[in-house]
Amino acid sequence: MTTVGLQEVLLVGAVLFVAGILCMVTKRNAIGVLMGTELVLNGANVNFVAFAYFHNLFNIEGQIFALFTIIMAAAEAAIALAIVLNFYNNHVTVDVDAAEDLKG
Amino acid sequence: MSFADFLFWVVALLTGLSAVMVVVTQNIVRAALWLLFTLAGTAGLFFLLGADFVGAVQLLVYVGGILILLVFGVMLTAQGPFVNLRAGAGEWAVAIVVGLLLLGLLGSAFLMTDWRFLPTQPPDPATSRYTNDLGLALLGSRDATPPGTLPVHPGDQPVERSRVAYLLPFEIVSVHLLVVLIGAAYLARARRRRGART
Amino acid sequence: MDFDYGLLYVVATLLPLASFLILFLGGRRMGRLGAYIATAAIGLSCVCSLIGAVAYFSNVPHHHGHHAAGHAHDGPGHDHHPDAHADKKADHGHDPKQDHKADPHSGTKEEHDHGPPWQGSIYWAWVGGTADKPAMSLELGYYVDGLTVLMFVMVSFIATLIHVFSMGYMAEELQDQVEDHQAHVTRKGRYSRFFMFLSLFCFSMLNLILANNLFQVFVSWELVGICSYLLISFYYERLSASTAANKAFIVNRVGDAGFIIGLLIFWTYCGTFNFQEIFGQLRCPPEDAHGKNSLAGQIVRGRLVPEQDLGDRKYLAVVEFRLDVAQLEKSGAVDKETLDRLRTLDGKTFDRAKSFRDALEAALGHEQFEKLESQLLQAGARTISDGPVALLFPPEPGDHPHGVGPDAEKFEDGYGDGIYLAVAPKPNQYRSIPYWLLVLGGIGIFLGCVGKSAQFPLQVWLPDAMEGPTPVSALIHAATMVAAGVYLVGRAFPLFAPEVLVLIAYVGCITAFLAATIAIVQTDIKKVLAYSTVSQLGFMMLALGVGGWAAGLFHLITHAFFKALLFLGSGSVIHGCHHEQDMTRMGGLFPKMKITAVTMLIGVLSIAGTPLFAGWYSKDAVLASALSFVTLRPQHLLLFLLPLITAGLTAFYMFRLWFLTFTGKPRDEHVYEHAHESPYVMTVPLMILAFFSVTVAWGLNPLDATGSALEHAIHHEYPTVMPDRVAEDDAKVKAEAGNDAILPALVAYQLDKNAYLNVLHLPSLHELAGGLALLAAGLGIAMAFVVYGFGFLDPAQTKAQFQSVFRFLWEKWYFDEAYEVMFVRPAHVVAGWARWFDLKVIDGIIDNLALGTVRLSWFDGRFDLGIIDGLVNLTANVVYGVGSWLRIFQTGSIRNYVLFLALAAVGIVAVLSYVVALAG
Repeated sequence: MTTVGLQEVLLVGAVLFVAGILCMVTKRNAIGVLMGTELVLNGANVNFVAFAYFHNLFNIEGQIFALFTIIMAAAEAAIALAIVLNFYNNHVTVDVDAAEDLKG
Repeated sequence: MSFADFLFWVVALLTGLSAVMVVVTQNIVRAALWLLFTLAGTAGLFFLLGADFVGAVQLLVYVGGILILLVFGVMLTAQGPFVNLRAGAGEWAVAIVVGLLLLGLLGSAFLMTDWRFLPTQPPDPATSRYTNDLGLALLGSRDATPPGTLPVHPGDQPVERSRVAYLLPFEIVSVHLLVVLIGAAYLARARRRRGART
Repeated sequence: MDFDYGLLYVVATLLPLASFLILFLGGRRMGRLGAYIATAAIGLSCVCSLIGAVAYFSNVPHHHGHHAAGHAHDGPGHDHHPDAHADKKADHGHDPKQDHKADPHSGTKEEHDHGPPWQGSIYWAWVGGTADKPAMSLELGYYVDGLTVLMFVMVSFIATLIHVFSMGYMAEELQDQVEDHQAHVTRKGRYSRFFMFLSLFCFSMLNLILANNLFQVFVSWELVGICSYLLISFYYERLSASTAANKAFIVNRVGDAGFIIGLLIFWTYCGTFNFQEIFGQLRCPPEDAHGKNSLAGQIVRGRLVPEQDLGDRKYLAVVEFRLDVAQLEKSGAVDKETLDRLRTLDGKTFDRAKSFRDALEAALGHEQFEKLESQLLQAGARTISDGPVALLFPPEPGDHPHGVGPDAEKFEDGYGDGIYLAVAPKPNQYRSIPYWLLVLGGIGIFLGCVGKSAQFPLQVWLPDAMEGPTPVSALIHAATMVAAGVYLVGRAFPLFAPEVLVLIAYVGCITAFLAATIAIVQTDIKKVLAYSTVSQLGFMMLALGVGGWAAGLFHLITHAFFKALLFLGSGSVIHGCHHEQDMTRMGGLFPKMKITAVTMLIGVLSIAGTPLFAGWYSKDAVLASALSFVTLRPQHLLLFLLPLITAGLTAFYMFRLWFLTFTGKPRDEHVYEHAHESPYVMTVPLMILAFFSVTVAWGLNPLDATGSALEHAIHHEYPTVMPDRVAEDDAKVKAEAGNDAILPALVAYQLDKNAYLNVLHLPSLHELAGGLALLAAGLGIAMAFVVYGFGFLDPAQTKAQFQSVFRFLWEKWYFDEAYEVMFVRPAHVVAGWARWFDLKVIDGIIDNLALGTVRLSWFDGRFDLGIIDGLVNLTANVVYGVGSWLRIFQTGSIRNYVLFLALAAVGIVAVLSYVVALAG
């Protein structure tokens, strides 16, 4: 790969990240919000792996961090889904705008 | 443009578009589908970047695990009105402005950074032993991580990097997963509702 | 001497205080026990003082030859005070309580002709320096010399007898309910209280005598004053008693104001209250460091010289009254005639001279003075100075390093050889006191004595003080407290300049005469005695004033005995007549109270000056002093004439008193019927006192009026502040002066004073005075016999004939009325003004201040509510507003939070990069 450099990969990661943020902001469905977080995490992972690829001292570290991120994402998804289900059980909705009990 | 470059751009485009579609799609089920493509594209990117194992894990965990989980969640909760919950136009406008700003910020960040001090010699995928080293590092071998001098800005004192291993984080993460699974099971267990709010 | 008798005296002083405290704590319950305790205490004091007296006088060595000759004048004693003083200073190194002179004889080559003064002190309060040797201190100490010893014996002995007498006299106070016929009230008995006050008085009086410093005297002075006040108003239900007590107290305040002024003057200029230290500063040591008699023992009048006048030489003063005739002779500048004339000059020459020049001119005569001056001028001297005079004295005896004499420094700027010799002291070596301040300080102290001893013009309180119980009158207002003034004049004698002494003499003389005239017409038995007391105190003051130091104090002691006797006798009469004091209602009491009558007759004879009775010796001594003085200074003739007349008057009114009381027909049947002799507890003290009223002054030969042992003993204690050579008679001084290059004429103040005082020792004068006094007394007695004894003259008729004179005397020379007009009414007027000022101005200011404060508070309240509270509320409102605004962002919506997060990230990074860009 000669023309595709670090910056191009980072651009993809940034697109994923921004898409994730937008997803979190615009989705009212709680599961949509969850999807946004997955996107954000993926964007970050892309960055990790890109740096691992383009920096020969961190070939392993970047991948390991990406792995840990994936695992954390899995854990997060599990918990988040459980919370969503619980919320749904309690409120009979998955609209995050309904979850405003902590509003000041 | 080599084939690898071509392939990268294809995959990157696919991934980026799918991500945008995830945002844009109003139907939650379709969004999940677009997310599938995004995650798969990301996995492809990983492969292209020589991170075979990470890409494989991405496919396994995300596509095979998390996405299924999400779809389950969607299905469990997807009763009529919730499938197409949509935000207002104002919110969209604000979100798009903020998103563009963020994108501009990130873009300017990596575009304006001088990356020349990075030793940008991508390894030859053919000879790389990444997966092997990855396993060794996770098992606690320090041989997998090479020593060397960390890149610094010219003129700064060079910093030596020592070898490290990741057995303990690995164990912690595994235990963490177990805890999360138990917690999730506890949270999501079926309970009799006592007078739900309307 | 192993035993410190001074401490014995301290114990004797403290015993009555202990008794006072016991009675104070014991209260009314004590009853007779209180009297026993008080009497025992003062009795023990008396015993202690007698032991002390024996110890003291057994230490007196035999005198020099001329002293042993029986001459009344023993001369002022050899002066060993500088040594005592120096020892005292050195002793400050160790415990001040042990600070007494163990052996005053050691280290002094002269033989003393009186015993050692026992002294010691502790510091009461001090400033500066160390605790051992403070820069300035108030001492609490004792100084026991012969005068103290004698006074101590007198006071404690008479006080003991009066205590015993009081046990009988005050017996009716033992009852639970006592009816006061004069105040018409029934009250509880005050037996124990009476003795409590007596004890306090005894303590104060003994402390006064024992004190070694003026301040302690002053404290005791006020203590006896308050005791007097308390005891005069013992029957305070009676208006007259409380008024009299107030009067006594207030009149004494007038005197004490002067006393304080005197104290402050001497404190300011001497830096100490200690008698010996002050005296030590008031003269020079006998010899200087070169062994020369230079300014020896003199207070020298000199002229203060500003330092810059003398260039680089630090002269502070020029001695003016000094002329070194020996050198003058050596220089040959002055002819022999003038020299001889100069040698004949004596202290009188400079008595009250304005300046050296005036004095010399007056002494030599104008012609001879001019000759001397021209001769001196030829010899290179300047004209003889006539600057103002000041008084100089060194602060430390024995520290006089320069000489004035052959090897003295001389003025080199034209004063000429041997004429004006400079004292060249180190800086601060001399303290100086302006002469007028010395006089003023003396007058101040004397004013205190005037108040306490009821001298003219403050004599008005003492007769009123007779409202107190009779033993009190005897003890306090006849024998002891009123004599304290005389005692203090005697004790502080060296402090009085000749001008003050003349004043003292005149005050005493006027008082004696005035009081005697009033006493003639009084009918209250105690008032007669009171005026007699005032009169006799005047005698004492007169004696001190004319230089009869010993005579005055001698009379003080003899008077204490016979006046106490007379008062106790009158008390016995009053007691026997059920508190009847008016002599016009008595009469013919002799058969009923023989002991009282006889003892009182002895007292009357004694006070009248009958030969062989105690009063004879002392009154003769007083009159002899006055006569000697008058002989030298005829312009003061009154100082002898008035006392002489007074002596006659005294004899007259005392016999009048006795006749009116004890002889003739009873004038009031009721009184006569109930009259009875007093119990033995009262008559025995009378008898003892009567015995001493006769014998206390006896010497080896009682017929010799000048041979009184007591007077000799007092004479030894003469507070000399000058060396012997000056203190001897003039001839001796002159003889020595020739050899020693000191002319008596040119010795200043002390020689002045010496000449002033040194006049009373001529036996012929003593005989003359004694004879005249006897004549006067005889005439007085004869008059009394004529008028009251045999009734040749009808007193009532005489009274009618001299109605105006009688009124004048009866109204006590209108002193009370004059004071009423002069002081009391103006005081009321001023008080009225002050009241008006207080009500209108002071209160007005305060009211307006209060009003202003209220107004100010109102504004303050507004300020508090508006500004302070406003600020607090504003803060709260701002916080509330900000909180409310922030509340908007707390939407509770996750999506919004994410948005904010993103925005915040963008914003923060943007700002940071902007800052970095700026910095870079």
